[in-house]
Amino acid sequence: MSAETINTEKVKAAIEAAVRGCRVEILPNGSPSGQHSLILDNEHAVEAALFLRDNPELRLDYCSDVAGVDWLDKEVTEKVKVWKLVDGAEKEVEETRKSVTPGYLEAVYHLFSMEKKHGPVVLRLRTQDRGEGARVPSLTPVWRSAEFQEREAFDLYGIVFEGHPDLRRILMWDELKDHPMRKDYVAPPDEDEPAGAVAQEGGR
Amino acid sequence: MEQSEKSVQELKAELSKHGVFTTTFEEIYNWGRKNSVWPLTFGLACCAIEMIATTMARYDLARFGAEVFRASPRQADLIIVSGTVTKKMAPMVVRLYNQMPEPKYVISMGACAISGGPFRDGYNVLKGIDRYIPVDVHIPGCPPRPEALLDAFMTLQKKISEQQLTGEARPRHLKEDLPSEFTVPKYGEHGLEPPVNEEVWNPLKVLQ
Amino acid sequence: MFLLQNLAVTDARFGIDFLMISAVNLFITGTNPWPPIVALLVGALAFGLAPLALAWLWAVKYSPAKPGKEKNSIYECGLESPGDAWIQFKASYYLYAIIFLIFDVEAVFLLPFAVAYAGLPAGACVAMLVFLLLLVEGLMWACQKGVLQWS
Repeated sequence: MSAETINTEKVKAAIEAAVRGCRVEILPNGSPSGQHSLILDNEHAVEAALFLRDNPELRLDYCSDVAGVDWLDKEVTEKVKVWKLVDGAEKEVEETRKSVTPGYLEAVYHLFSMEKKHGPVVLRLRTQDRGEGARVPSLTPVWRSAEFQEREAFDLYGIVFEGHPDLRRILMWDELKDHPMRKDYVAPPDEDEPAGAVAQEGGR
Repeated sequence: MEQSEKSVQELKAELSKHGVFTTTFEEIYNWGRKNSVWPLTFGLACCAIEMIATTMARYDLARFGAEVFRASPRQADLIIVSGTVTKKMAPMVVRLYNQMPEPKYVISMGACAISGGPFRDGYNVLKGIDRYIPVDVHIPGCPPRPEALLDAFMTLQKKISEQQLTGEARPRHLKEDLPSEFTVPKYGEHGLEPPVNEEVWNPLKVLQ
Repeated sequence: MFLLQNLAVTDARFGIDFLMISAVNLFITGTNPWPPIVALLVGALAFGLAPLALAWLWAVKYSPAKPGKEKNSIYECGLESPGDAWIQFKASYYLYAIIFLIFDVEAVFLLPFAVAYAGLPAGACVAMLVFLLLLVEGLMWACQKGVLQWS
């Protein structure tokens, strides 16, 4: 893809050195392309993005793509061995524990550098949850090309981009309440012909 | 009645053998109509490209008197719904159909226009334009070839030539009490309102 | 047209009785040039009016009129038309269009000039340059007036 692949570790270190207090996490990508992504924290995301754009080493001046991802609540059941008092003696007993990881929405940005001819760097911004807290800072002030794509992610996933100059629906109509690309979206009950309709009555 | 109809046909055939051609009012009227069906310049998706190809020299829709694609629905007799009708576009299609003068016909071209096609389970595509307007001819195909559109067109011509001027079997546009415009769906909070026009929509039913 | 004028004049001068008499006279006397013209006029009118009348009769007999709010609404490619069509346009649009004409005319004359350039005498070249100067002068004047400033 790129003339020069960017070392994600180095970018992470550079961001952390330049932006005070910024927490950057690397999400490894196991595929052959190895495009690991950087998860930025929402408070410092704009600052970090400005650094990525303006740093003379990186010069990531082109945001090619903004995507939305919906991660549902995850329920994990695991069997754990615990020492417990059974009949007066301590024994190792197996227990099943259930833990629920709350779901969240994610905005993914793909960055390239026209000047340095390298890329991509993949940024991810995560919302707190899938409801009221579905907010991330907008990177449109940093990369103008993100404007319409952030609107699309808002339209289809319901991610609210704070600081976006014109956050309206872009594909669906304004009156719609749903966000149809979310995984728990159910299409309105439709007066379909029942499955396996075999014969026609009357006709038109 | 049937007997007299038959003898009239026989008489006409006999006369035409002797070089005398006869016709009825209805026949000549329908003959004129079917050979000057003017479609509306209206394309929605990839099927529109096939529709354009149909009008060009290789397939030549002009042979059927239908080469004049009108830029205004006021002058058009036929709307070829060629392509995917998204839910956002559906009100416009219905409004255009409403604005056409009677008699007006609809050809629903391609898998998307007749049923939603490959996008049927999507959130944004109407599952067939026949939910809102009465369709005369459906063409399956993705997209249908120009020959298929020509076939649909000839089917429509046949349909027009069989329409009666008087009597109970006369078509919708000649009946006083039947509507000429149809409900334009509105953008609702979860989909189009209403999802179908009950007056028009006539789906398959399970009989067993 | 002449006939109508003629009739109108006679009507104004002598009243309707005289008009009738003169019209009858026109048809009877063979030397009069008007009758064939009148016949043509009536024929032309009938040619135009008969289809309209037939269509109207047809509609009355067979197809009922079905006007409707949606059907009679303004055609705007399927959208509902908001607002009024009678709004003011900025005068700057027209000025721009006129200034565009300068370049347009320039291109029209420059092309043949360039084609015939090698064989032209010095006088023709000077004439062309004067022409160009006049056009550019107009542009400069418009520019100085601030027409090209879009506000």
